[in-house]
Amino acid sequence: MAIDSAYLIQLTLNGLILGSLYALIAVGLALVFGVLEIINFAHGEFLMLGAFAMAFLLPVFGLQYWPAIVMAVIASAAAGLVLFELFLARLRQSEFERSILITIGVSMILLYGMQYFFSATPRLVDTNFGFAGLDMGTVRITWTRVLGGAEALAAFAALYAILNFTQFGRAMRAIAQNREAALMVGIKPKQVARNAVVVATALCGLAGAALAPIQNVEPAMGQSVIFKAFALVIIGGLGNMLGAVAAALLLGLAESWIGGFFNIAWQEVGVFAIMIVVLMLRPDGILQRGRMRVQ
Amino acid sequence: MTALLEVSGLAKAFSGVHAVDGVSFAIEAGTITGLIGPNGSGKSTMIDCISGFLQSDAGSVRLSGTDISALAPQEIAHFGLVRTFQSVRAYDHFSLLDNLLVVAAPFAEVTWLDAFLRSPKYRAVRRRVEERARDLIAFVGLAGHIEAPAAILSYGQKKLLALAAALMSRPKLIVLDEPVAGVNPSRINGIADILRRANADGTSFLIVEHNVDFISSLCDHVIVFDQGRKLAEGPPQEIHRDPRVLDAYLGIGESTPARLPVMS
Amino acid sequence: MKRLALGAGIAALAALPLVTASNYLIGITISGLLYTVAAAALNLVYGYAGLLSFAQLAFWGIGGYGAALTVMSLGGSFWSGLIVAGLVPAILGIVIGLPTLRTKRHAFVIVTLTFSLLTDLVVRNWVDLTHGPLGIPGLPVPTLLGFDFGTPARFYYIVLGFTALALAFLYVFGTSRIGHILKAIKQNEVLAQSQGIAPLPYKLAAFVIGAAVTGIAGGVFVFYLKIVDPTILDFYYMQTFLIVVIIGGAGSFWGVVGVGLVMVALPEALRFSDDLRMVIYGAILVVAMLAMPQGIAGWFEQRRVSALRAALK
Repeated sequence: MAIDSAYLIQLTLNGLILGSLYALIAVGLALVFGVLEIINFAHGEFLMLGAFAMAFLLPVFGLQYWPAIVMAVIASAAAGLVLFELFLARLRQSEFERSILITIGVSMILLYGMQYFFSATPRLVDTNFGFAGLDMGTVRITWTRVLGGAEALAAFAALYAILNFTQFGRAMRAIAQNREAALMVGIKPKQVARNAVVVATALCGLAGAALAPIQNVEPAMGQSVIFKAFALVIIGGLGNMLGAVAAALLLGLAESWIGGFFNIAWQEVGVFAIMIVVLMLRPDGILQRGRMRVQ
Repeated sequence: MTALLEVSGLAKAFSGVHAVDGVSFAIEAGTITGLIGPNGSGKSTMIDCISGFLQSDAGSVRLSGTDISALAPQEIAHFGLVRTFQSVRAYDHFSLLDNLLVVAAPFAEVTWLDAFLRSPKYRAVRRRVEERARDLIAFVGLAGHIEAPAAILSYGQKKLLALAAALMSRPKLIVLDEPVAGVNPSRINGIADILRRANADGTSFLIVEHNVDFISSLCDHVIVFDQGRKLAEGPPQEIHRDPRVLDAYLGIGESTPARLPVMS
Repeated sequence: MKRLALGAGIAALAALPLVTASNYLIGITISGLLYTVAAAALNLVYGYAGLLSFAQLAFWGIGGYGAALTVMSLGGSFWSGLIVAGLVPAILGIVIGLPTLRTKRHAFVIVTLTFSLLTDLVVRNWVDLTHGPLGIPGLPVPTLLGFDFGTPARFYYIVLGFTALALAFLYVFGTSRIGHILKAIKQNEVLAQSQGIAPLPYKLAAFVIGAAVTGIAGGVFVFYLKIVDPTILDFYYMQTFLIVVIIGGAGSFWGVVGVGLVMVALPEALRFSDDLRMVIYGAILVVAMLAMPQGIAGWFEQRRVSALRAALK
């Protein structure tokens, strides 16, 4: 089969954009795991909240993209703060299972609650950009996709700057790397955990808001993507953000390429099979670092 | 005749730090041996290696002549070496009786199928074991709480429960990790008494303790640890005169050997 | 007292088809019983052995597909289908359990979760075997010695018989010395090892038995539905089993069985919409984990311990 080069470029660009949005979700999951050492099963629901916030806010702002997305991110971060203060802050050391069960409960409330109030029907979200796009010869990408990719890049740059150049970002890395040492130099684990959760949910909300004009918006959208994000975080090395980003970009590309030519689903089977093999070969992996919990 | 426990050239390092650095000693059957040394001198690492909870880097541990250094903790327990823990451990949700009924050795002849079906053989064994458990709980003076969950016990009482559990399997050697640390002083003599009686019944002990009074009143033989090595060993009377011990363990030099009230 | 309650409960369940002709009521009782069995199996794995296994969902689904395919593709009977429904999950339980039960519990949770997701994807995509998203409809009516279980009321007795057998088995196992040791390992694995207990065989036994029982329950369930499709692997089922175990109290057999029967039947009877029911379940899960992490049974135990402690002083 002769592959049309323009089609291939189109698929590649779409895949990179999709992958960078996956990466936003996976990075947040990795951050929360690294700092709190919990798995946040409700993480995907923040993607959904971000998307719904976008869907509800766009009409309020007369379909203006920018104010709506800023507000959607703020709303997700606020929801993350509530999640932390109400539930995660109460977890004590070695309560891994409890953290899972609590976040599963939160995820159920959010997912089925949205379904109850707004129905499971997928909705389409329109913006002031409509279907207008960026034309590059034979390749054409809608503005909402271009902006999604650009926002992801900007978010990564901001995250990098926060983690490396700000006090509260360095505290997060310190806790994730060596909890005891971090406590000895006076870092307050609870504050750091709160910051990590808020940053993670803001990133996830941004991904959701950016995806809203690109994909269907529905209550279950977080659930379908969160398990993929688990896989990415594990393949990338739990708690290792760069690894997760690389894995996410690869997955986005793979989905776009394979989806363009083949049945999309078997490569997902591949991803999970790889994940099981990775876990079985080095089961403790990065999980070993241990003892990085919020008191 | 071979010694009950023979440790030779045992070594264990954590990322380059030699916690135990080529230690050798022997314990004779029927004795109570004390193991003392400053904090961080490698005593805990040592007994973790002996009891199989840590894999040593080099050296061997022999129990009645059998090399046990590569075995898992549960296998070592079956060979007759049982330990207790410094951070006291008990099954908090179980009654004292149920705590003791966990111990595997007395049920060695019972298969899973026996246990599942409650076969006559299982029930006979279980009756015997339960009787022994009740005796031991009475022996350590906890008979009044036998049906109560272990969670209600005080710290010192849990140490007694751990001792009773260790005695359940009639081991040759019990390694006690700080049996009286943090225990109300009024109870310490009682614990020493229990240990003496168990020793008279044929159980040997290796006791890690900071309480030098306790060790010197109880032990036939004392081993002193410092910085991962054996500093000295001998009868308690000799040990407390050894200048190296005074220097390392008590932090006082040769110049002040007279000030040793704890050893009197 | 306990025996009286048990006898009354069994009699009431056995008499249900005699007092009601409502297929709806019989239907929710069937699901309730099977969920309770699956929850009791999860209770053995999580409540007794302390292993938070998400593989239960996969075993439930694999049991369903195993039973259906035995009948539809291999021409076996319903009963041989149930054997396959128990056997395949048990074997998979050994394959997954042996390497992962040695590792830390974090890794165990993630491997079992991944296994369930993988199962879902395989079921959706191995179209030649499973017919993909369309599923396998038209599962036949079970028969035994010429008697067919064609009506819901008749099928109900298969379910009731299986439930009684499975729960009795789990009860006898859980209250045996093996169950006692499982609970000991959960409370303090290091102490158990120092007392001569090798944890792995016990954990593996719990995991494999839990897999087999859950698989058979899944097999019976799809023959009640008369169809198996990928929705059998919906996370919803896992959530339901978990809620029953958590509320009943992990490790408490009667707590889990009692709560299973009440919780599954109650919201169904109150006719909440599915979504609202799941919201309520989620809220109960969160509140339970925050307010009484040991479940109802654990809460009572805690009160007993406090009372005893107070009496000592």
